[in-house]
Amino acid sequence: MLPVHHPRALWRAHGYLPVEVWGPPGTDATPAGAHLQPFLCSIPRCGLAFHLAGGLRDVDVVVVPHACDALQGLGSILTDLPPRPLPALTPYLPRATGEVAVAFLAAEIATLSTRLAEGSQRGPTADDLLAAALDEEAADAAFRALLDARPRISLSNAAFYEAVRSREYLPPAEFRAVAEVALAATGPVDGIPVLLSGIVPEPAGLLACLDRHGVRVVADDTACVGRRRYAPGTSTEPFRRMAEALGSGPPDTTRGSPLSERVAYVVALAAQTGARAALLAIPGSCDPELFALPVLRQALEAAGVRTLHLETDLSMPFTAQADTRVEALLESLP
Amino acid sequence: MTLYASVRHGLAVTGGRAVLGVVRWRDTFRRPRAHPHLAPPLRSGVRLKELIARHYLKGRTASSAVPVAWVTSGAPVEPLVALGYHVHYPENHGAICGIRRVAEDLCTAAESAGWSRDLCSYARTDLGVVLTGRTPVGRLPRPDLLVCCTNICQTVLGWYQVLAERFGVPMALVDTPFLYGTAPPHALTYVERQIEVLVEAAERAAGRTLDPGRLHAVTRRSKDACTLWREVVDRARHRPSPITAFDTFVHMAPIVEMRGEACTVDYYAALLEELDGRVARGEGALLEEQVRLAWDNLPIWPRMRWLSDRLAARGAALVASPYARAWGELADLIDPERPVASAARVYLHPILNLGIGQRLAALRALARDCQVDGVLLHSDRSCRPWSSGQADIRDRLVREDKIPALLLEADHSDPRAFSEAQASARIDAFLEGLGA
Repeated sequence: MLPVHHPRALWRAHGYLPVEVWGPPGTDATPAGAHLQPFLCSIPRCGLAFHLAGGLRDVDVVVVPHACDALQGLGSILTDLPPRPLPALTPYLPRATGEVAVAFLAAEIATLSTRLAEGSQRGPTADDLLAAALDEEAADAAFRALLDARPRISLSNAAFYEAVRSREYLPPAEFRAVAEVALAATGPVDGIPVLLSGIVPEPAGLLACLDRHGVRVVADDTACVGRRRYAPGTSTEPFRRMAEALGSGPPDTTRGSPLSERVAYVVALAAQTGARAALLAIPGSCDPELFALPVLRQALEAAGVRTLHLETDLSMPFTAQADTRVEALLESLP
Repeated sequence: MTLYASVRHGLAVTGGRAVLGVVRWRDTFRRPRAHPHLAPPLRSGVRLKELIARHYLKGRTASSAVPVAWVTSGAPVEPLVALGYHVHYPENHGAICGIRRVAEDLCTAAESAGWSRDLCSYARTDLGVVLTGRTPVGRLPRPDLLVCCTNICQTVLGWYQVLAERFGVPMALVDTPFLYGTAPPHALTYVERQIEVLVEAAERAAGRTLDPGRLHAVTRRSKDACTLWREVVDRARHRPSPITAFDTFVHMAPIVEMRGEACTVDYYAALLEELDGRVARGEGALLEEQVRLAWDNLPIWPRMRWLSDRLAARGAALVASPYARAWGELADLIDPERPVASAARVYLHPILNLGIGQRLAALRALARDCQVDGVLLHSDRSCRPWSSGQADIRDRLVREDKIPALLLEADHSDPRAFSEAQASARIDAFLEGLGA
C-alpha cells in the first residue's frame, strides 16, 4: 500500500494483509531514475526503487491510491508499462466533497472489490465486509485515543510513533493491544511542545533529533498519522460505510481539502495542544503541501506558533544541517 | 456589476476593437521578414494577434462590468461563456509571460513570498502576477469565480486554493478521476454532478440564470472549433508539412482561451483554408524539410524561437505534438444536445488524464500518421504528470518501434531550468543520428 488513504477493511475482508510503504525511507532511489525523473518526490522514487530491488517479491498486489501527481505517475507506470510485473490497483480518491464524493468513492471501492474477487476467485459477503469495516473502526477509535492522549503519554517521540504507526501494518486487534500498552504509559511528561506537520515523520533521524533536543510532539498533522483520524461510517452498506470513514478525516492536502479549512484546523490543533512551534517536514517537490505552506506558516506565526520548514528526502538520512535548524528554532522560542 | 464599469468596458472594447482592426489591416500589408530556413509566416498570424490582443484588452476593463472567471485550461467553460463571463486562463497568460521573458521575475516574486521553486512555473508566474500586479498584458481582471478542473493535474488544485484564499472568491471544483481507459459510469456521474454544481455556482456569482439555448449554441461552437482545430493539426500529415508544431503551439491560443466563441470558429476556418492553399501549392512550413519530428509535452515557451531556428537550420521539421492535438481529438464526444452530460465525458478524457499506456499509444499513432523520423520528449520540470513515464515511453519507442527519441530536460516557462549549451549538444547529436 502506498500513501495515503485506502480502505483497510476491504483488503482484510478479501484476505489480504495490507502493509503500507511510505518510501520506504533509506532506500537507494538511484535505480528508479531510469523511470522517474529526480525532480519528482522521493516517496514514489523510493517505492519504485524498492520494487526494482525485489522488495515487493512476496507481494500479491500493489495498491497506489491517487494522492498526488507523483503517485499518479508511479501508479501509471506500474499499471501500463511495468518494469517488473506486479498487479497494481490505482483507486482514485475524490477531491470533491459531500454526497457526490461519498457515492463516487463507494463505487470505486466496490470496483476494487470486484477486481480483488476476480483475482482470488472468492469474494467476501456483505456481512464479511461490514464486519471488517467495524473491526477497522474499532482500531481507528484506538488510534484516535492514542493521538488524543499524547500530551499525557510519557513515551519518547520515537517510541510513540513506533506505536501509532504500527497501524500501517498490524491487524486491527493487534493494533488495539499495542495502543492499550502505549496508553498505559502515562507519567510525568516534559519537553518543548511542538506540532509536527507534513507527509511522514521520516527520515527516522528526525524523531531522534527531536528526542535529543527535548522536544515533545504533542500534536500531529502528518498525512500518515494525524490526517487519518477517521471517524466511523454510519451506513450499513459496507462500501459506502468505508467511503464515509475515509472522507471523514481532518483537512488534508492530498484529499483536496479547502486551504482555509486546513489552516483553521492546524492553527486550532496547535492552540488546543499548547504547541509552541510547528515543524513542517515536507518531502521536496511535494506539490500538495508546498502550495499550502506559505499560507499555513503565516497563519501559525500570526497565532504565535514559530514555524520551521524542513525539506525531507526519504532516500537520504536526516542531515546535520537540519538538526542545527531544529536547534536554532528551539533557541529562538520565547 | 456597476453602470460605470459597464460603460467603460463597452467603450474600451469598441475602441480597442477599432484600433486593433487598423493594426491588423496595417500588418496584413507588411512584408514579413525573410527567414533563411522557414517559409513566410502564416498570414492568419495577423488575425491571431488581433484575437489575443482583443481578449486581453477585454479583460483589462472586465472587472465589475461583466462576471469574470479564472479557469484552468481543461475546465468546462461552455456554461461560463453562455453566462457571459469573461474567462481568463492563468496558464495561457503564463505562456505569454514565458514567451515575453518576464516569467523569471514573476516566479522570483512568488518564491520570495514562500512558494517553492519546485512548484509549477505557470503557478509561480501567476502567483507572482497576483502579488506584484505586473503583467505584460497591462492588467488582469479580478475574478468573481475560480473554476478548477483536475483533468490536467492536481497541481492546479493547490494553486487555485491559494487564489481562492487570496481573492476571497468561491472556487468551483470539477474533479476528474484519472483514467486507464474509458471512464467507468460512476466517474461520469461524479463529474456530471460537479458540472451541475459549477453551473449553479456560476449563476450565483453572475447573478443570472443559464439559458439552455445559449448553452447549446456555445457548445455547438466549441464542437465546431475543436473539429476545425483537429483538421488544422492533421494537415501535418502532408509532406512537406504546411504547419509546424511551433505554429500549432501559438495558434492553439483561441481553442484554449476562446472556446465557445464565434470568432474562434471563423479563425480556424480561415487558418485551415490557408493551410490547404499551402498543401495545394506543395509549400511546406520549412523551405527544405529533410526530417520530420514529433514533440511530447508542453513547449519551452521562452526558447521556442531558438529551438525552431535550430531545428529549421538542420532541415528538421517539428510537425506534430500530442499537446496541441489534445484540443481537437475529443471533438466527436461533444454533443450540443446534451451539453452537461457530454461535457462530463469530454473533460474526463483529455490525454493528460490518461495513463501512460494511452499516451504511448497516442504518440505511436501520431508518429505513424505524420511519418516522423524521431521524437523529442520534453522532460518538463514544471509538468510532472506529463513528464512522469516519459523515460519508459522513450524506451518503448526506441526499442519496440525503432523510432529514435531524445529526452530533453527543461521547463515550460522558467528559463532557469534550461541550459542552452547542453540542449544544443544533445539536439545536434540527435539530428546527426537522423542524418539531418
